Amino acid sequence: MDTFLQVTAYGLLQGGLLALVAVGFSLVWGIMNIVNLSHGAFVILGAYIAWEMQSWFGLDPFLGMFVSAAVLFCIGYVIQRYLINLIVNGPVFITLLLTFGINMIFIQSMNLIFTADFRSIQTSYGSNSLKIGAIHIPVVRLLAFLLAILISFALVAFVKRTRTGLSIMATGMDRGAARLMGIRARHVYAITFAISAALAGMAGTMIATIETFDPAKAGKFTLMAFVVAVLGGLGNLYGALVGGLLIGLVESWAGQYLSGTWVNGIAFLVLIIVLIFRPNGLVGKAFYAARVEL
Amino acid sequence: MTTTPEVKISRNLLHTWIPSVVAVLAVIGALILKSHIPGGELRAVATIFMFIALSQAWNIIGGFAGYASFGQVVFFGMGGYFTAVVMLKYHFSFWVAMPLSGLFAAVFAMLIGLPLLKLKGHYFAIATLGVAEGMREVVINLPDLTGGGAGISVPIAGTFAKTQYLGDGGFYLLFLGLAIFSVGIGTLVSRNKFGYGLRAIHQNEDAAAAVGINTVRSKVMAYGLSAFMTGMVGASYVFQQVTIFPERLFDVEITVLMIMMVVIGGSGTVIGPLLGALGLQFISEYLREHFTSGHTFILGLIIILAVILIPQGLVNYIREGRRTKQYSLLTNIRRYRL
Amino acid sequence: MSEIPVLETRGLGRRFGSLDAVSDVSFSVPKGMILGVIGPNGAGKSTFINLVTGHIKPTSGKVFIEGKDMTGAAPWDIARAGVARTFQIVKPFNGMTVRENIAVGILYEPHGTNRMAVALREADEVLHTVGLAGQGERRPNELSTADVRRLEFAKALASRPRLILLDEVMAGLRPTEIGPSLDLIRELKAQGTTVIVVEHVMKAIVAVSDEVLVLAQGKVLMQGDPHEVLADPRVIEVYLGHRYAKRQKGNS
Repeated sequence: MDTFLQVTAYGLLQGGLLALVAVGFSLVWGIMNIVNLSHGAFVILGAYIAWEMQSWFGLDPFLGMFVSAAVLFCIGYVIQRYLINLIVNGPVFITLLLTFGINMIFIQSMNLIFTADFRSIQTSYGSNSLKIGAIHIPVVRLLAFLLAILISFALVAFVKRTRTGLSIMATGMDRGAARLMGIRARHVYAITFAISAALAGMAGTMIATIETFDPAKAGKFTLMAFVVAVLGGLGNLYGALVGGLLIGLVESWAGQYLSGTWVNGIAFLVLIIVLIFRPNGLVGKAFYAARVEL
Repeated sequence: MTTTPEVKISRNLLHTWIPSVVAVLAVIGALILKSHIPGGELRAVATIFMFIALSQAWNIIGGFAGYASFGQVVFFGMGGYFTAVVMLKYHFSFWVAMPLSGLFAAVFAMLIGLPLLKLKGHYFAIATLGVAEGMREVVINLPDLTGGGAGISVPIAGTFAKTQYLGDGGFYLLFLGLAIFSVGIGTLVSRNKFGYGLRAIHQNEDAAAAVGINTVRSKVMAYGLSAFMTGMVGASYVFQQVTIFPERLFDVEITVLMIMMVVIGGSGTVIGPLLGALGLQFISEYLREHFTSGHTFILGLIIILAVILIPQGLVNYIREGRRTKQYSLLTNIRRYRL
Repeated sequence: MSEIPVLETRGLGRRFGSLDAVSDVSFSVPKGMILGVIGPNGAGKSTFINLVTGHIKPTSGKVFIEGKDMTGAAPWDIARAGVARTFQIVKPFNGMTVRENIAVGILYEPHGTNRMAVALREADEVLHTVGLAGQGERRPNELSTADVRRLEFAKALASRPRLILLDEVMAGLRPTEIGPSLDLIRELKAQGTTVIVVEHVMKAIVAVSDEVLVLAQGKVLMQGDPHEVLADPRVIEVYLGHRYAKRQKGNS
């Protein structure tokens, strides 16, 4: 029983982290119908920036992540405004290819600048953990988890309560109408992508405090973001949170109770099953997609 | 009024023999080339042939039918592993194993295609990617059958080997053959009823169904055909490499290369994927040789530029240009711009 | 009376969540008739067509085509049974030429040719019929709105249907362009084709229909002679509102 609780707690914590990785990805996909294959590279870049901040200025990663976020916000804005906006109305594989190209450039640049060695961010409190009953909860993981929840709620508040947020939603629903209302779609798209990149940067920083990272890991995070976003479903900002927690739990349980490396395949199994039986994700909007537009 | 179509069609017929002649000359050229280049370069050219075959295969489902199979490498990997297993454990001849691998991949594609091809756009892309990643894990987790993460080796000499290793020249011919086969299939599909059905599905599935096209069957068959070709290429690749690992055989980068070649060359055409494979593989080899550390950087840059400047692919761009006398890249960018 | 109707529905209905888009629609169309279907926005006209052609599966009721139960059949099976349709939001195959758009339909017609060259030649005849002669080599996105509507019509004709459902083919056409469309519909009837015309343009419906069916809120309000139906106060009410109906009554 204790093992089960420990594994479950670990799964939830891991799930929060996955949600943080995926939330920006899901936002961009839901609003602009862009699957950003360079998302994982943004995550890793965020980790590197926070690492450098700590090593140069001794900045704590929980502060350094704001630097990561700021830098990635700017990078994200430029990428969307001057690259992705140019092909945003194209077919699926056009956007996939473009973001893959961007991904290649980022990975290669990081390999050249930071080298391909494994790194991680060490903190004085990195090995501390809380003890609730028989369950150990690492402090850093708990902080990352709380941050993920906080950011998900903050994002919802931002989108629903602020002018910029509302224009993002409006543009996502009907770009033509939004433009008629005086919303500058190009700018709004760029802002949306910038927010997504900034969130990726924060997620990267969190990850760096927990595990090692290197540029080659980018692909893994993109794939994870995919799976989580699809599971949660698009069009619902809490989708990433639901999907992330689910995958975290399933993987954690599978790691404990399945033999060998089957755990790596579990996420994809869940993904395919959900896609077949609930193509709109677990909390996605089913009605609109089910309605046949003829 | 009735004579115009006759004229048009006979002109089309006139056009059809030009590509045939070019194709025959190209094959003759490739055969002459074989005896004039050293072993290392034979391998490089064989890789180009391999990617011609792979891009033609992807073009059937991705280019004609418009379903972005982002997990296409799964058929490459499963075809490859099928061949490795039957050659190693059951002592099959490669020449039997290869077509069987194609069939194996095709059947698998049709089975997963039934549920997956109902998904649209990104969802299909991701589901197929999930299948590819998942199958790699399955292969890793069945070490008794597949050798697991430690890899598997195909017997290439001695008493256990039904088929002796083909050597650089032999594989050059094998991949050339596969390239010819795939271009042939592509040409056939691009001109027949099936191919036009796929194009209609690509444009609008409801409208395609309304004119009597069984969209489910067409899509599943296209996926099967595409997987058949991919599986045979995977089988040949495995025999060429001798020892293989799941990471390499299910590498998502192979899928991305196929897609890049098709999209940059011109999807939905036969000549586009061919040129795309030729050009991109050539450039990639050149960069690898001359810019060891920066070659992916430059390749990424090329992809970005190509996708933004000619999103419809080189061949479609030229065809459209010839038809409308409009070659301006600026108007071309406007096509998909926000 | 003994002749089997080309199309018959019994209690046909479709529910989306808690919304009954179409419910309990029963009617039949004899061979060679032109049936006009009218109704205000949201009356379920397009859903009704989609139910007949299999693009939407019914949640209740039955569809019979030439006496054969085709309830829940796939759209392509219904197409092969001799039923063609147009879409209200036109759906041309944009990647192909206008001629190829038609030829695809000809290739997939059960008794048609399997050879593209032949299909292309036959496509020219269809294009000529709908008034698109000479536009065959253009792309659908290069055509005018009226011509795209004609192409939509031509795509439906390509499979030589015995029943054709036209979903607002005249929407957005200028009055001078409506005339030829009506002639075409009458021409179809003369050839023995049964036509169901869903329209907003009331004048067009009256001019061409043998009978008119009125849908309101997903149900059949009435069916009968065009002039009688349009004079019926219930129809005027659903169409033009309560007040207009009253005023009409006051005037007469």
